This record gives sequence, C-alpha cells and structure tokens, in this order.
Amino acid sequence: MKAADLGALERIQKTALTGLRPAKPLVSVGMGTCGIGNGADVVYAALAAGQKKKGTDFILAKVGCFGFCAEEPLVSVVLPGQPMVFFHRVTEKDVPKLLQQVSSGTIQPKKALFKIEDWDFLTGKISYGSGLPTIPPWNEIPFFQGQKKIVLRDCGLIDPENIEQYIAVGGYRAVFKALREMSPDAVIAEMKVSKLRGRGGAGFPTWRKWELMKVVEADQKYVICNADEGDPGAYMNRNEIESDPHMLIEGMLIGAFAMGATKGIVYVRAEYPLAVERLRKAVADAREYGILGPKACGSSFPFDLEIVEGAGAFVCGEETALMASIEGRAGRPMPRPPFPAQKGLYGKPTNINNVETWCNVPVILARGGKWFTETGTETSPGTKVFSLVGKVKNTGLVELPLGTSLETIVYQMGEGAGKKKKIRAVQTGGPSGGCIPSDHFHTPVDYESLNSLGAIMGSGGMVVMDQDNCMVDVARYFVEFTASESCGKCTPCREGLSQSLAILNGITRGKATEKDLDTLESLASVIKNSSLCALGQTSANPVQTTLKYFRDEYLAHIKENRCQAGVCQDLFLELCENSCPMHMNIPGYLQLLKEGRLEDAFESTLRDNPLPGTIGRICHFHCQMRCRRETVDAPVSQGEIHRYLADTMYKMGKEKQIYDKIIKEKHDPTGKSIAIVGGGPAGLTAAYYLVRLGHKVTVYDNHAKCGGITRYGIPNYRLPSEVLEKEADFIRKLGVKFVFNTTIGKDLSLSVLAKDNDAVFLAVGAQKDIPLSIPGDSLKGVYLGYELLELFAKKKMPPLGENVAIVGAGNVAIDMARTALRLGANVTVVYRRDKASMPANESEIEDAEAEAIRFVFMASPNKVIGDGNGRVHALEIMKMKLGPTDASGRRKPVATGETDIIACDSLVIATGERVESGFVKDVGIKTRGNGTIEVNPFTLQTSVDHVFAGGDAVSGPATAAEAMGQAKKAAEAIDYYLTGERRFHSLFPKIAYGNQVPAQPEGGPRNYGRKTAVKDRIKSFVEVAQGFTGEQAHREASRCLRCDVKEERK
Amino acid sequence: MEKSLQMWVPEKKVDEMIGRFGGNPGALLGLLEEAQGQNRYRYLPKETLDYISKKTEIPLSQIYSVVTFYSFFNLKPQGEHSIVVCRGTACHTKGSKAILESVARLLGGSESLEEGEPSFTTPDNRFTLRTVACFGQCALSPVVSIDGVIHSNVTEGKLLKTLNRLMKGGKR
Repeated sequence: MKAADLGALERIQKTALTGLRPAKPLVSVGMGTCGIGNGADVVYAALAAGQKKKGTDFILAKVGCFGFCAEEPLVSVVLPGQPMVFFHRVTEKDVPKLLQQVSSGTIQPKKALFKIEDWDFLTGKISYGSGLPTIPPWNEIPFFQGQKKIVLRDCGLIDPENIEQYIAVGGYRAVFKALREMSPDAVIAEMKVSKLRGRGGAGFPTWRKWELMKVVEADQKYVICNADEGDPGAYMNRNEIESDPHMLIEGMLIGAFAMGATKGIVYVRAEYPLAVERLRKAVADAREYGILGPKACGSSFPFDLEIVEGAGAFVCGEETALMASIEGRAGRPMPRPPFPAQKGLYGKPTNINNVETWCNVPVILARGGKWFTETGTETSPGTKVFSLVGKVKNTGLVELPLGTSLETIVYQMGEGAGKKKKIRAVQTGGPSGGCIPSDHFHTPVDYESLNSLGAIMGSGGMVVMDQDNCMVDVARYFVEFTASESCGKCTPCREGLSQSLAILNGITRGKATEKDLDTLESLASVIKNSSLCALGQTSANPVQTTLKYFRDEYLAHIKENRCQAGVCQDLFLELCENSCPMHMNIPGYLQLLKEGRLEDAFESTLRDNPLPGTIGRICHFHCQMRCRRETVDAPVSQGEIHRYLADTMYKMGKEKQIYDKIIKEKHDPTGKSIAIVGGGPAGLTAAYYLVRLGHKVTVYDNHAKCGGITRYGIPNYRLPSEVLEKEADFIRKLGVKFVFNTTIGKDLSLSVLAKDNDAVFLAVGAQKDIPLSIPGDSLKGVYLGYELLELFAKKKMPPLGENVAIVGAGNVAIDMARTALRLGANVTVVYRRDKASMPANESEIEDAEAEAIRFVFMASPNKVIGDGNGRVHALEIMKMKLGPTDASGRRKPVATGETDIIACDSLVIATGERVESGFVKDVGIKTRGNGTIEVNPFTLQTSVDHVFAGGDAVSGPATAAEAMGQAKKAAEAIDYYLTGERRFHSLFPKIAYGNQVPAQPEGGPRNYGRKTAVKDRIKSFVEVAQGFTGEQAHREASRCLRCDVKEERK
Repeated sequence: MEKSLQMWVPEKKVDEMIGRFGGNPGALLGLLEEAQGQNRYRYLPKETLDYISKKTEIPLSQIYSVVTFYSFFNLKPQGEHSIVVCRGTACHTKGSKAILESVARLLGGSESLEEGEPSFTTPDNRFTLRTVACFGQCALSPVVSIDGVIHSNVTEGKLLKTLNRLMKGGKR
C-alpha cells in the first residue's frame, strides 16, 4: 500500500492507530540495544512462548527505548480502557505473572514503575485510559520530572520497524505538507523562526546553514546525517535511530527539499549494528510507501537515502573527515573554506547535520517554529537529549528544555549518588568537553553558559564523577583517547597530544615536577589555538578545565605523590592504606598478625598511629569503605584488628618494650621549641611525632586533662578513659610537656606563644555547639549537646529529667542519647531527615536502636514550649516529607505544614559544632567565614609562616582519624620547616613481612566483635564493644586479599 | 602461514561484492568491511587487498591508507573468540581499565597492551582482546562484548568466570 497522497496517508493513519490502541491487550517490550543487553530479548521470547502455550489473546510488540536505561528491561502493558503501565527490571521469572495480569484484566501495581494516561506525540495524541491511582504518572517520578519529550516523543511507544505506526501518530504529515504546499524558502523561513541550533555540539543556527547551501547552484547536491556519535558516554543518537528511524528520514527529506539536494547519506558508526539494521529497514519501507523515491511523497521532488557505515575512527565525526571517509579515503580533516555548502562530497554542495538536529525538523514543521521557541531559552530554544551516566543512581537518556541547571539534572533526575559518596564533578561534551565541579552545578545547561566555564555541551554526554574518580586520571584518559584518534595530519594535535599524554602519565606515576605542569598548560594552549580541526582544538579542554578547577589534585600527585581518589596505582600501597587518613600500613600489620608476630604488628600500628586502641574503637573506618574484599563477601574489619593488637599488648604488659624501643630512637635535641595549642587527637599526634624528632614540645589545653573530644565528648561505653589515658601517657613519657587549664587567647596570648616558639601548631578543634535559635530555646532545661557531654565527662552535668528529647542525629546527639538512657531517662531522638540520611557512625546507630532509643524521623524543631514556670515542657515539631535530592546526596526535608508535640522535661540541641578561632586574629591569621583556619593544603601553614594548623579547626567537624592524619602531615611539614631536612621517614623503619598473595579468598565470612548484652549495658557505662578474640582476629587477618602486592613495573 | 589460509575469500565472491557496492558512496569502506567479515579469520590478507585494487582500479596505496587508518580493519588473523572491552568515559569511570588489565593478564597480553598495541591475539589464535572507544551503552557500564554479544554491568569476577569457561572450550 503506497502513500501517494495525503488521503492515502490519512487512511493508513486511521487504520494503524487501532494497532496502537487496540481492542485487546497490548504488551510491548523495549528492544533497544540497552534493553537487549539487559535481557529484553529473553523476556520477549518468554512472553511469546507463554502466549502460544496459554493461548492468551493479546498483541505482543517490540518497541524502542523509553530512555530509563537503569531500569531496563521495560515492558509496557495497555489493557483496553486502562492507562499504559510500564513494568521495570522485568526478567523471565516475571513473565507468568505478567501474562496472568493480561488474561485477568487487572494490573498489579507491584512491579510497575509508572503509568501514562494520555500521550502527546506532538504530531498526534493518544488517550489510553485513566485509573490505577497507586501507580504514579510518568512525569512524577524523579527521573522524568522536568523532562519534555520532543525528540524522544515516539521512542518506547511505537514499533520502530513498522512505518505505519509512525504514520499512526502523525508522522510524515509534515513532510507531505512541506513538499506539496510549501516552497523551499518557506521551509527555511520556518526554521529561522524556530532558531534551532545544531545539536552536534557547535550550536550553529540550522536555518543559516541550510540557506548557505540552498543558494548554491549545482547539478547535484547532498544532505548528510552525521550519525558517527563517537563521544564516549553519549548514545542519544543511537537511541534516536533505533527507536524512531522514520523521524530522521522525514527530517532529512524536508531539509533536502529546502536545499535542493536529491541524494542523502546517513553515516552511521559501525559500532551501532542495531541502529544500522533498523535504519535500513526504515529506508526500505519508506521507499515502498513512496515517501522516498523519484516522486517523494507523490511530489515532483526526487530524493533517496543511502546508508554508509563507518569503520572505527572518532575523527570521522568531523564533517570534512566524514566526507573523505564516504569517498573511500582516510578520514583526515581539510581546512575550511571551502565549506561543504560550497564544495563538499565529491566536490558538490553538501549540508551536514547531526542526527538530533534532523530529528527536530519534522516537529518544527508540524507545530511551527514559534511553538518551538516556547521551550528552552531565548538564545537556545528547544530541548536537548542528554545521556546521564556514571556515578549517579538513575542513568539513562533525559530530554530537557535547554537552560535546565546541572543541579536539577544530577540531583533531581539522577537522584544523586547516595549519602556515602560525594559527587565531585560532571564531565560534559565528551573528550571535547570539560569537567565542571560541583560548586558550579547551579549553571544552566546551554551553549553559552557551558562555554563560559571552559566546557562545551557537545553531543550531550554527561558523566557524573564522585570522590573515587581522580581528576588527573580523567584528563589523562581523555588525552589518551584523543591522541590515539588524532588523524596525525597536523603537528600541534599529533605531537602536542602525545607529549601531553607523556606528561600526564608521568604525573599519575609520581614522576613529574611542577615545571611539567607549566609545560602541560602551554601545550594545551598551543594545541587549542593551532590545530586544524575541532578534534585537536577541543582536545585541550579536559586538561584545561581540570587544571582550572582541580589544580590542587595535580599538585598533590606531584608534590606529595598522593592520589586521594585511589586511582593512580603507583601512588599508593593499597586502597585501604590510601583511604586511611593516617595512611596506616594496613596490609602490613594484617600480615604480621597472620604470621603470629603480635609485637611487630602492634609496633607497626603504633608507628603510624599514636592512639591505636582509641582509634580502633571510635574510627569511621575509611579503610573498610574501600576494601576490595567487599567484592567477594564483606570488607575486612581492619580497625577492629588494630584495636585487638593494642588491647592484647596492653593486657600482657608487652607494650613497654615497644615503647622503650621508640623512646631510644629519639633524635638528638634540635634546640627548637614548638607550642601546640590543643591536646586533642590532632595535638597529641603532632606532639608524638615532633618530640621523637628531637624538638622541645609543649601542649597547651584549656581542660584539666588531654584528649579533647576523645576524653570529653565520647562516653566511656564507647571509649573507656583508661585506654586513652595509657596511650596519652606514652606521649608524655616521650618527653612532651603539658600545660593544662590554660586558654590561649585568655590566659596566654597567641602572639606571645608565636614569639617564644620556633613553630606553633593550632589544633583547637570544633567544639562550640551551634545553637538552634528557635523560640523558647533559653528556657531552663534546654542544653547544648557537646557542652553537655563535656560537663558529664567532668562529672559536673546538671541532673536531667525523666523524659529527654535530643535534636540531631550525628555522633554527638547519639552519644548524648545513649548517655541519658544509661542515667535512667526515657530518650527520644528527633531528626529532621530520614533514617537513611543520619550522619552518625552506622555501628552507633545500630547500637542505639538495640538499646531501644526512640527515634522520631522527618521532624524539624519549631519551638520549645514552657511549663509556665520558665522550664521546658515539650518540643513542638514540624512534620517533614522527603523532597528532591540536594547537594549532600540526600533528599531534602520539606515542611508539610502539620505539627506535633513531643513531651520532654529536658531538651538537648546537638545539631552541629563550629570552630572558635577568634583568638588567632591576635597574630593576623586568616580564617574563613565559618571560623575555620585557612591553611596551605600541602604544608598546613597558616598565613603566618611558622604557625601551622590542622584537625577540625581547619576542616570543620570531621573524624578523629582525619584530624590525626592532618596532624601527621603537619608534623612532617613543621620538621622540614625547622631543619630543612627530610627526616620524617626515619620514624618509620621497615618491618619485613611475607608477600604471598592468597590464591583463593581465605578466612571465611567476616568476623564481628562481641558486644555486651543490651540488658547489661544500659544500666552502666561498661564498654559495649568487646572486640575480637584471638581466634577471630587471626581469622579476620587472613581474609585480607593482599591487593598491595604488586609486580615491579619494568 | 599456508597459502590457502591467506586468500580464504574466493575471488568470485569478491567480484560479487564489488559489483554490489559499485560506485556508491562509502563503497570502499563497505566493501572492505564485508571482505573482512567473509574471511574466516576476520582479517584482510595482502592478496585480498591486491585483488580489490586491481578490480576497482583504486590504487593500493589508497586502500592501504584506509585499512591502516580505520581501527576496524585487521591486517593480521584474529582469534576465534573476540573480546572487546569498552573504554568509553562512563565505562572508564566505573572501572573498565581494571577489567581490561585483568583480561589481558589472563590471556598473556599485558605487555602488548602496555606498549600501546590496539589489540592482542593469543598465540594459539583462540582469543583476540581489543578495546573500543565507546559502544554507546553507557547507562549499563562497564560493558564488554564477547563474540559480538554485549554484556552489561560487567564485574571482573563475572567476566573472568565466563572467559575461563570459554578457555576450557565451553560456550559463553
């Protein structure tokens, strides 16, 4: 049946429409390459087999991809009169239930993700049915919120291999109108009104490109579709062709007519076999129906399409290289002018546009250019399809109005990366683009704003990266790619990129200097300004943007030989050691324990960490978060082991011999004196290393004893004070002098300290509670969390009431809650977010729950209600609900308007702490807005040369291990500053141990330390976590896979 | 290598292909791809290239320029099984480098890859390992194709299991 005229087309449309909204159930399986890659073909086969076997009466169809790749395979079901329901992650096992729903006529919402009641195809509309209130409409689930489907309007809803379905939803009407009722000029005029810009990346106005070719007289003109989507990370063109090939054909035909080109070519990269296959079928069908041919759409305009497959060269995405490729030559770009519109393929005028540009054309002609400008921004109307991939929850294709912010895309649609990982950057535009750091996420996505950041929109690839991605490695990766894809013709690109790659490789191997960074920068600039084509010109962008926004990371690789993300293998021992803020040699002590050498294992931990027993109890265990054993079963409990080592040595009294050994190693006195302000974990650590290097060290603290938060903020059931006491005592034995009950800035000025000492280390921590400032917070019985914990530790806490409410869910709040519980109170913890978002240690949360502490989630404190006598009586809270994901990776709490009352006679506010650093102004030290002290990230020097700072005072509230890690780094920097010699490594003599890698994962499942029974622990402050037995510790140590053992690089 | 293996695609077949592609756009690329595909070892022996040059009257130097420029063309016999690891951005971000390295180690091609060779074929001709810049399956990264079948969300463990099975002569 041919579509020789509009009447015939309308007849086909009418008939075919019943196929999309049939009188019997319609089950469609999404069959794009992703869907098939995830098992959609198996599901389809199972449905077909089930249909045959059971004889259920329904239509089984294949459709394209709806775009939510992370949830593939997607299967949609339309029961007559009901909405179209999409089921997600469908497997073979789900098929019987699906068939059952089809035959019974009732949809079960369990595996349904969303529904569509009516769909606007923009060239047509279909109403499926309403109902099923428990299933959310498609555009109310986070991934689709804010999306507007113009280009992807048909994808996933029609069968891409059936031309009649395209016609059914209104396809090909626009081209019929154009070819029969409009002039080429009128078509271009409509394109001008639409202000459509090229979607390949450069954003050149499409109407102008067409106009330039239209006016050229020639005996043959060509239109080409650039479907050589080579950008790694981008695959929207693939989906556009696989799911709706006729849209592309229609667009090209309209354009060809406007420009007078009678031949068209689609150049598809060979890596897209399904797209090629679907397009071939579509072209064949279009010929059969008379859309293409000597009388296209029954008009007098002849037009036909050829398909040419690429052969694996990224540079062929550049238009002159693409044409050379079609002509059977190597794809090497040519200088322009002459532009393709004048002299292109085979020397004839040629117009090349990207797939997505062509795909926008039919809908512009169908709805009008003016309609098109109603979406997007003034200078960039319309939508763009982006591929959102990488370290984000919802991956897939999103189509949004231009001008949408990155924040919306990453956090709202992508739903971020969870609370455990922090998103650092988004890489846009492939190897021609750049990395945009998270603090620029408010930037709207359009051609100009991305250009201003040094990135480009490019083809629309968006790769999300988190803290485990190394930005230097990202730059190196892209340069490696462009260097290998460079055609080699021009020197700046060919030589420049290979030299840049050599430098970047050097940086990732710790063999580069700061001068290399300068060379890299000047190379980038030369390559950008003098390369022949856009591949070279834009290849510098990844380097330039990462240098601009992440320079410190490059410097850390060069100056410290450190790769924080744990990617550049030559720069760290292993992921556990790299993630540990103190870089403890974890595989080392595990191996030593395995070999039965307890003393050596303990010595190893003590050298790296002055408070092994303490940290083994309270650490957040960053090491375990990256342990590779997790890919087998569960991470190795590394921290629990170094606690075991310390506890065992102390129990046996054997630590003394190690202590004596370390004391004997003390360097000769240097004659330099160092003052340390703050005797918490950071101060103690700095003191520990500096005194061993021979300096005279004095620690000043405003408390009566040292320890800081570890003594005054962490109750005994988590950290018995005897452990801390013993470990601090060793530091005293090493010769560190302590001056207590002295507040610097009050009892003694910082300027005096700075004058009297050769160096000063500020480690005052962040212990000042941030008050909540709600009405009634000055009533009696309202306390601040950290302050209260301190008072309790000093045995000076006022008696708490019977019903204690605590606002907050960090470690301070939980510690206060568990303390109050042990004192006999009924405890309620009030938190404004949900359980999954709690910042406290996971083990603390577990323990608190086991102790039956009541948690009220999604409740934000509104005001404190008094009893009429000036004392707290209750807390009024505002009930919250979960809103969109925010920059912390958690869902933002949003007020519902409903309030509630929580009765209490004592209220503790523990919602955060800050640094008190006013006293540093005394010597002119710079601080940031939130009070934290500014330091050089590599030397930890403040704005005053010989004054250093570290710990929470610099980072804001963080973990004890991180504070100690900074202090260790500062100690090294201070020693170098004072002596000019690199002596730090002498404090870490190597302890030899075996290096056999276990052939198979050993040791069995993860061991867990014993815990005191709940009933025994809630009445006293006895330690809850009892640690490992010897047997457990040995077994656990043998679970280590020894990933640190590497072959020597030749 | 035996002469019979070098010129596996019969001349008559090549003639037919040339006739089919004719002087159409992209003819040379398409012709070379098909000639390679029809070769049992999926490569283009010199004899085939010489023959094509003679029949199409395209200079051998141009044909040589094309087959060495485009990564799709193989001038050496390929292994029975082909393993292609995607090294696109999304796959790289999700750790495809480590996957590539572990497969290379398994097959004995680590040194070759380090030196920048685009592909590695085991001496017994059973496996060829290569990379592709991007399969366009980014939402399902990391992606590896084994004998043309795309596997998504690949982990080192799963992949090595599959490869070990293949090495022992099983099916994927």
